[in-house]
Amino acid sequence: MKEINFEHKMGAHCESGTVTALLNHKGLEISEPMVFGISGNIFFGYMESSNFSFPTFIVRNKPGSIRKNFGKYTGVKFHTKSFKSKEKGEAYLNNLINNDIPTAAQVDFYYMDYLPEWQRVHINVHFVTLIGKNETDYLVSDSYFPKKAKIDINRMTKARFVNGFMAPKGFLFYPEYIPGNIDLNKAIIKGIKKSAYNMIKIPIPFLGIKGMRKFARKVVDWPKITRDIDHLSHEIMKITLLLEDQGTGGAGYRYLFATFLQEASEKLNDGSFKDMSKRMMEIGDNWRNISYFAAKIGKNRDLGPERLKELSNMINDRADEEQIFFTDLYKLVK
Amino acid sequence: MKEKDVYVEFKPHQLVLYVEKDDDSYGPVQTGSFMAKNYLDDYFEKFEKWEKSLREQLKKGEISPVYYYMILQSFGEGDLASRVGVSKRKLKQHFKMEYFEKLKLSQIKKYADAFDIPVASLFQLMMSKHDEKEKISIKQMETQNPYFVISKVEMA
Repeated sequence: MKEINFEHKMGAHCESGTVTALLNHKGLEISEPMVFGISGNIFFGYMESSNFSFPTFIVRNKPGSIRKNFGKYTGVKFHTKSFKSKEKGEAYLNNLINNDIPTAAQVDFYYMDYLPEWQRVHINVHFVTLIGKNETDYLVSDSYFPKKAKIDINRMTKARFVNGFMAPKGFLFYPEYIPGNIDLNKAIIKGIKKSAYNMIKIPIPFLGIKGMRKFARKVVDWPKITRDIDHLSHEIMKITLLLEDQGTGGAGYRYLFATFLQEASEKLNDGSFKDMSKRMMEIGDNWRNISYFAAKIGKNRDLGPERLKELSNMINDRADEEQIFFTDLYKLVK
Repeated sequence: MKEKDVYVEFKPHQLVLYVEKDDDSYGPVQTGSFMAKNYLDDYFEKFEKWEKSLREQLKKGEISPVYYYMILQSFGEGDLASRVGVSKRKLKQHFKMEYFEKLKLSQIKKYADAFDIPVASLFQLMMSKHDEKEKISIKQMETQNPYFVISKVEMA
């Protein structure tokens, strides 16, 4: 097996974990929360689309935006490439591995069969790093798996070239240039500004704080659009999965963002960001309470109108808190 | 969240959470999944109920295998339609046997690819008696012929 000398680390999230590991490999010492925060990725959105099996919510910005925004704010250049042809896409990746370049690939998460089956869903925006290969398998560094894993070459190629919503089209990337004099302080401020803008000012009715309020309004009507009580229970418990288990670092990225603010406070030598990080940690704990509550009522099938109203009120309370929090944060960086 | 409150013993599903440490610093810890540890039984129970209900409908010809797999794999209709290159209207037609049975084999193959199963699995479900579930495994081996699969029944 050809194997690139690459340090595998688990990460909270697949894209921030992948970007961080690749930057570390290329010589830039930076943490995952810092990559996540600088790229302005804390977010909220309530989505109703036929591309999802049920209305859902997102707690981070668009897939791909961690790499893009981090590059934009720090001057790091990423080499990126998509493909129309599977054969060319596979050959290109193999060539990079042969040249000792660890490379991130966008894949359908469902095909990552080293992970347990209950964890895998069809979603075309998972990111892994390819770090080796032999005749039959690739060696993969996946932020969601404790160690390096093998995956069949044909399976990986399928995962890179499935069609559908946000089809990966064989997308690959790796950092090719890291400036010697990155102004991290400036990048931190830009990232915070973007996050705060997205949460309180973005003029789209289902995004940011407005998205949270929409979620709170809509969740009480979920019984009308579910097949039966088990389906409703499944969708309510998915709230917990989306907040805690699907690569968020806990509490829908709120703990990751609090950690970023704490690091930012040290870098900027400004105690006000430390206060904000404590507030964000508490907000995270309140989101975590939603996770516990949703899991409990879902499992007990305790899903009557009063319980759902209670859940809706908890979400609205988070919207109130985050409205104040991000308004205060915006004032600090304006 | 305090570090001491976070640890969950569940090796098969590990993840990274960010926590507040004893010295007030925040940082990552690796732990088992709280959801998987506490709620996986409930998830499987619901899944088995859905599978059974869909299988009954499939047996009666009330739904097609396309609908069966779409629900079990939690596909959005728009996403699935895009993966197989049909309109959402056509996809909905393919939920019914009267339309499914008129599909070309090449179209059926596209559905099989989207569901990551052999074409043969759109026409049969292989099951074992409940008490033998742990003893028997059925491996479907792909061949160079994309429409032909060899199923091997193996005793554990």
